[in-house]
Amino acid sequence: MNILGVLQGEFLKLRKRPAVWVCIAILLLLLLAFGYLLSWIIFTYTQPASAGPNALPRGVTYKELKQSLYPFHFIRNTLNGGTQLGGVLALIIGVLSQGSEYGWGTIKTAFTQRPRRVEWLAGKLISVALTTLLMTLLLLGVAALTSFVLASIDGADRSWPDAATILKGLLGAWLIYTFWALFGVALATLFRQSAMAIGLGLAYALVIEALIFGLLGQFVGDPVRRVQQWFPLANAQYLVQSFGSATRDLGPPPKPYADATHAVTMLLIYCAAFVLVSAVSLQRRDVTS
Amino acid sequence: MVQTRALSKRYGNDILAVDQLNLNVNKGEVYGFLGPNGAGKTTTLRMLVGLIRPTAGSATVAGHAPGEPAGMARIGAIIETPAFYPYLTGWDNLKVIADYCGVPESRLGDALEQVELTPRARTKFGTYSMGMKQRLGVAAALIKEPDLLILDEPTNGLDPQGMIDMRNLIVELGKGSRTVLVSSHLLGEVEQMCTRIGVIQKGRLVAEGTIDDLRGATTLSVRADPVPHAQEVLTRMLGADSVSQADGVFNLKVDPARAAEVNRELVTAGVAVSELVAGQKSLEEIFIELTGTEGGL
Repeated sequence: MNILGVLQGEFLKLRKRPAVWVCIAILLLLLLAFGYLLSWIIFTYTQPASAGPNALPRGVTYKELKQSLYPFHFIRNTLNGGTQLGGVLALIIGVLSQGSEYGWGTIKTAFTQRPRRVEWLAGKLISVALTTLLMTLLLLGVAALTSFVLASIDGADRSWPDAATILKGLLGAWLIYTFWALFGVALATLFRQSAMAIGLGLAYALVIEALIFGLLGQFVGDPVRRVQQWFPLANAQYLVQSFGSATRDLGPPPKPYADATHAVTMLLIYCAAFVLVSAVSLQRRDVTS
Repeated sequence: MVQTRALSKRYGNDILAVDQLNLNVNKGEVYGFLGPNGAGKTTTLRMLVGLIRPTAGSATVAGHAPGEPAGMARIGAIIETPAFYPYLTGWDNLKVIADYCGVPESRLGDALEQVELTPRARTKFGTYSMGMKQRLGVAAALIKEPDLLILDEPTNGLDPQGMIDMRNLIVELGKGSRTVLVSSHLLGEVEQMCTRIGVIQKGRLVAEGTIDDLRGATTLSVRADPVPHAQEVLTRMLGADSVSQADGVFNLKVDPARAAEVNRELVTAGVAVSELVAGQKSLEEIFIELTGTEGGL
């Protein structure tokens, strides 16, 4: 067994791949721009509408809303703002890490070395999970730093959430990103290419689940939500919602249909399923490219 | 070092890519796996390294079933074109392979030196010429210090100088106890590099042996006059089956060592002999005889 060696090789490939860093940079920039800076500029330099659809609820001010940008809420703010887009980017990283092996023909190079196919896959999946961990750490690190700077500029409270919340947030975001990345690896393994896998993955992430349940939900209501609780996107959402709304000052957050335990369990089951699908597909099929 | 027993690969119901192949590659030889395009060479090599599974039959490669880690540890292989990560340097690409195989990084320098790629080791693979890519492929195959090298058409896509360099490298690598199994459709190349060859046609092995074995009986060509009298003497001496004639030149299936004896018989019988040459079938002739194609030339 040489999983450690494979892991070293795989992590070297991901670490030195510009596309991975581009995905992470995009995520960080969007979080900075839309999660913090744009909101801070709006809350600092503009006045809320007094009437109309954009008006704030009675008694709520921009000053109160700014609380979500400060360190105490950075976990909640990051999870609410960064998990969907981050999930899509993690999916792309997962697809590229596996799909390119088919595109470049490097899968035959890998399979004519010493490790068994499942060993090689294990090393690859661990390296993908390490990459999503790095992505999560950078995301939370940038969010924490930005929130601290903004609170300092405003002379506001700079206290942090407790360690348990930070750890849960870190693990929650990592689980969501890893789920998406493993989904990407599984799709790329099944289709033996990147283009189809990214297309289908993005369609699912952005359209399919939301569209189907959105439409059905309008007509059928609760029975649809009962079914939806077994689907991955909904569970990622339940997990995020378990940390509360980023703008909780607007009122109590909507109660998730299922709790965090259910969400984590379901996401872990999906992760295991994707690993299994990738392993069986890789083990059984001939390498003809 | 490599043995296959009735190895077969079928794709769907229609395509029988490899059919009951019995291949024997001995330790220490440079074995040429010769066949026209589409004959089943690459499919066979893919089965030998475990990339594809046979439909029937079996193979033993370096003492193990194809794809077994213990066997793969002793095999270096390039199947079709060498494939590496274009955004990584040559060095980093080899480092990935070394990590996979549990080989120390210290071996990379030697492997690159052996294929004369050291000056471009820190350049991205995507910028390499075809020849450099092939050489990096060989370096990757060498870092395990393999007992068996499997090279699938290693001179494909190379310019004439690159082909000569690659052939010389393969001959060099085949010295000593290392076994090299090299596939090709280029006859001259195989003739220059290999000690033994196997010829595959439509998935079947149609011949296997040393090049001299495959050339079979050597011949004597004799220009003699008058032709009818010479025909009579030679037929009496060698038998009708061993004598053929065209344009006044006799082709005799006889050991060239008997040239003096043939000459003496003819001269004694009053036949003038103006030319007497020992001849052999070229590998091209053998190939055409065996496969019915003029592939690769």
